[in-house]
Amino acid sequence: MKFVVQNHSSYPRVGDKPGQQRLRRAVAARERAEIDATEFAATERATVDEVVHEQEHAGVDVVTDGQIRWYDPISHVMGALDGVRINGLLRYFDTNFYFRQPVVRGAVKRRGPIAGADFDMAALAARVPVKPVLPGPYTLARLSIIESGAYANVAALAHAISDALAAEVAALAHAGAQVIQIEEPAILHYPEDIRLLRQLLEPLWAARGPAQLCVATYFGDAEPLYAQLNSLPADILALDFTYSSRLAETIAATGTSKLLALGMVDGRSTRMEDADDMARQVDALLRHYTLDAVHLLPSCGLEYLPRDRARAKLELLAQVRRLLTSTP
Amino acid sequence: MNRAVLQQLGIDLPLLPTTSVGSLPKPPDLVAARARFARGGMSQRELDEITEEAVLFWLQRQEELGLDVLVDGEMYRGDMVAYFADQLDGMELGGLVRAYGNRYYHKPVIRGPVRWEQPMTVGWWRFAQGHTKKPVKAIITGPYTMMDWSFNEHYPDRRGACLALAHEMRKEVEALASAGAKIVQIDEPALSVRPDELPMAIEATRIVTEGIAVYSITHACYGAFEQIYPGMLGLSTHNLDLAISQSAIDWIGIMRRAPFTKDLSVGVLDVHTYAVESVQAVRGCIERAMELVPRRALWVTPDCGLKTRTVEEAIEKLGNMVVATQLVRESAAGRQS
Repeated sequence: MKFVVQNHSSYPRVGDKPGQQRLRRAVAARERAEIDATEFAATERATVDEVVHEQEHAGVDVVTDGQIRWYDPISHVMGALDGVRINGLLRYFDTNFYFRQPVVRGAVKRRGPIAGADFDMAALAARVPVKPVLPGPYTLARLSIIESGAYANVAALAHAISDALAAEVAALAHAGAQVIQIEEPAILHYPEDIRLLRQLLEPLWAARGPAQLCVATYFGDAEPLYAQLNSLPADILALDFTYSSRLAETIAATGTSKLLALGMVDGRSTRMEDADDMARQVDALLRHYTLDAVHLLPSCGLEYLPRDRARAKLELLAQVRRLLTSTP
Repeated sequence: MNRAVLQQLGIDLPLLPTTSVGSLPKPPDLVAARARFARGGMSQRELDEITEEAVLFWLQRQEELGLDVLVDGEMYRGDMVAYFADQLDGMELGGLVRAYGNRYYHKPVIRGPVRWEQPMTVGWWRFAQGHTKKPVKAIITGPYTMMDWSFNEHYPDRRGACLALAHEMRKEVEALASAGAKIVQIDEPALSVRPDELPMAIEATRIVTEGIAVYSITHACYGAFEQIYPGMLGLSTHNLDLAISQSAIDWIGIMRRAPFTKDLSVGVLDVHTYAVESVQAVRGCIERAMELVPRRALWVTPDCGLKTRTVEEAIEKLGNMVVATQLVRESAAGRQS
């Protein structure tokens, strides 16, 4: 069995050490027109390099760009589509992180690359594979305001976004991404839409080329939907275990038809899990797991933690991997 | 509605009372002083003097603009949770975490049993009230938000942390009431975060306010309130302050199904844009809100604290809010006569 440690998605762009504040200062300086676009871009690039290297040093096998250059994932992706303007702040699920809410006013259409430059930047810095991460069509549609006449309903908008994201997935695969993660936390809050989600993911699945498509849910209990999630068009299913007391038990009892990415390390709590406990839990969960690889990752993006704890969580995952691979 | 509560407390407010939510922009000299203090280049006494000047500056501006219930502007606070966490035993400030855009805060960590040791806001409230005849609203961060916006490394679960915080924050409200505060606002921006936890937030609010002789307000903002309405009417506070100006929620439809039973502070200014709302736009917001509740139950406020704006923007926005409110009052009086 091969154990692969992945970062989930976001990573803290600022830390508490003086050298880790430069992006924050640069954003403020850019707003005051004290630095030009070239200088700002150089700071962004340096920060992406820094967080990629930090993930590698922590022992991660598949890193991300940390979404360092994005205001937030929702407005970044939707803002790159025609037919959308970006509105005021709204809380991102039950976190204390806020995103700018998209307002859909007309037909949505991809204007050009959305995450390509971020992927290229991280890939240049990384020695290991880089995983681009995009919010999925269902979640994007759910978190948008649809102005009268633009689309009949959430499903119609989600289908249009799906088409736009399929082109993005194809471009990322063409650029060399080996794994592309699509995030669909909203489905856990609207489980009745699981069939719709399956339809929405089909174009992305068809566009993935040689890349693996990883579908991630989080911020909710995935256990009631586990069987249906297993039938989604995806190569890897990433799950948040921190909201569910029964998910591990269900997987242990029923197995899986997909590669699993186990989000058992809490990406929103500074409390550190015990590596031995974690390894035992993973081991027990894999009782009926017949596939040859399993991924280990935090339960969600790590931007909800201070930088030092984010790194510690990744180091913990690497430690769990060592324990699992050294177990006879 | 709750006019009787205000009158019992000796507070007589006009129709559509205006107030700022809480935080106001720190004048540049205070910002510089706080930075110098953080670097160790200034004493607490020196910082306090500059902070007092800033409080007086804002009291004067609010009086000039014609606001009815004043605030101290939270000139002495940084983050709304960190300020209290820093002073409660059992809590400490953790590392930086991003809230949105380029805004970061030191997210607190609960490391042991939480304990209120001494008043945290009373001195500043007393200072502000001592410099104006208008009522000054006291403001604390509520226990549910304190819990939700902190890392919990001590209590076994969220409920344990929330209720422990509620018992301790109550002591602050008691201290404020003893000092003479008549209007106390409990900031709960996290209120709608987990709809299934609304009963916990209601229980915590009851613990904070029950039996204390104040007119109490719950301020919440930027949430999915449609998911906790009408359950949120179970909060023990007299007034709910909701960010409505940027909301896509169909409040009229929602309240038609379940009438609003409290006083409503309606947010009419978007605090996250530098653009200043026109008097006409604000007036429209107020008039739409008058369809939601009886006019005597309505207060007028910005959506949230204005600390993210410049001093000039905040003054202009609040000014237009007061002018718009006055126009609506005159119009209402004209219809009555």
